[in-house]
Amino acid sequence: MSSRILPALALLVSIGIFFTYVDPIWSGPIAASKAAIASDDQALAAASRYATQQNELATARSAIDPADLTRLSSFLPDSVDNVRLVLDLNALAARSGLSLSNINVTANTASAESANVSASSVGSADLSLSAIGTYAALKTFLGGVEKSERLLDVKDISVKGSDTGVYTYQVQLRLYWLR
Amino acid sequence: MALPPTIPTSFIPQSASAAARRFRTDFVGAFGFFGYSVLGVIFALAIGVFFYGRILAATQVSKDTELAKAEATIDSATVLGFVRLRDRLNLSTTLLGNHVAFSGFFKLIETILPTTVRFTSLHLAVDDAKKVKLDGSGVAKSFNALAVASTEFAAGGLIKEAVFSNIVINKDDSVSFALSAMIDPNLIAFLPSSAIPSAFATSTASTTISL
Repeated sequence: MSSRILPALALLVSIGIFFTYVDPIWSGPIAASKAAIASDDQALAAASRYATQQNELATARSAIDPADLTRLSSFLPDSVDNVRLVLDLNALAARSGLSLSNINVTANTASAESANVSASSVGSADLSLSAIGTYAALKTFLGGVEKSERLLDVKDISVKGSDTGVYTYQVQLRLYWLR
Repeated sequence: MALPPTIPTSFIPQSASAAARRFRTDFVGAFGFFGYSVLGVIFALAIGVFFYGRILAATQVSKDTELAKAEATIDSATVLGFVRLRDRLNLSTTLLGNHVAFSGFFKLIETILPTTVRFTSLHLAVDDAKKVKLDGSGVAKSFNALAVASTEFAAGGLIKEAVFSNIVINKDDSVSFALSAMIDPNLIAFLPSSAIPSAFATSTASTTISL
């Protein structure tokens, strides 16, 4: 009798062990550990790639002339810094022979879209100014603005003539900065 | 002489219960073997799973530690510096590609406009679609001078859709006019090599435009 009961009992115990220990452990903690290890492996591979790329980027950056990096920062600065810009424009106007007045800055929200760049990365503002001077002075001023170390786009310019050779100008400039 | 194995050695028939008992004995033996074998395999599997789980747990701890060390070596300021440098380079390239330089327009208008035509007012505007609109008003010494100006605008192709309107002949035979036109964006595109001639900054006496 026991020769039949014991094997059956062994089978039942086997089934019990499988469903209460082997399968839950395999599909639970072991599966989770395997997933975590796979994730860690991916992260470690990414960290390795990052270290390699960081070294490459550091090498590439050190190959750039620091003066050029400074100029690049001036070209697209980290902040609006419109006060310094107004000072610079005033100095440029004085050198060009223009007399500036009524300088005003307004934030612009559509500029990034118009420049086909990410709106979240670059900020822009419009600077409008009035000026008085000769045509030659205007051209010198415009030349200076166009070649300014800080990027300035002339968006709008109005000229009103006079018989004296001294004209009135309304100029709207767009300035940019990196957000 | 030996008998062939197919010929029964006894004429007494065997009982059916003995055959069934032998079959039952064989079945019980096979079942027992199967049951104990399965139990053994499952035990081995359970032990394997147990140790495999421990090995995996140890491996995970080791990987986590390694990852934490790798993370610690990453300086967020360095990353931010690289990201901003990349953004600055890319955005600067894009913005420089769209950089506006009206010097090109003034240079052209000085060249093509007859000396007998002058603007009294001029308005240039660039919209967000990079379309450049020119509106102005002026005076020409004669109708012919205005016609020459109109022909020059049409011939150049950089000042498009030039429409002269509000044409009024004054008492001194001069002609007042208003001008509306679109400017080719290439005319105001900034070129790093384009330098403003020094003459521009000194005198306009020889230029053909006067305001």
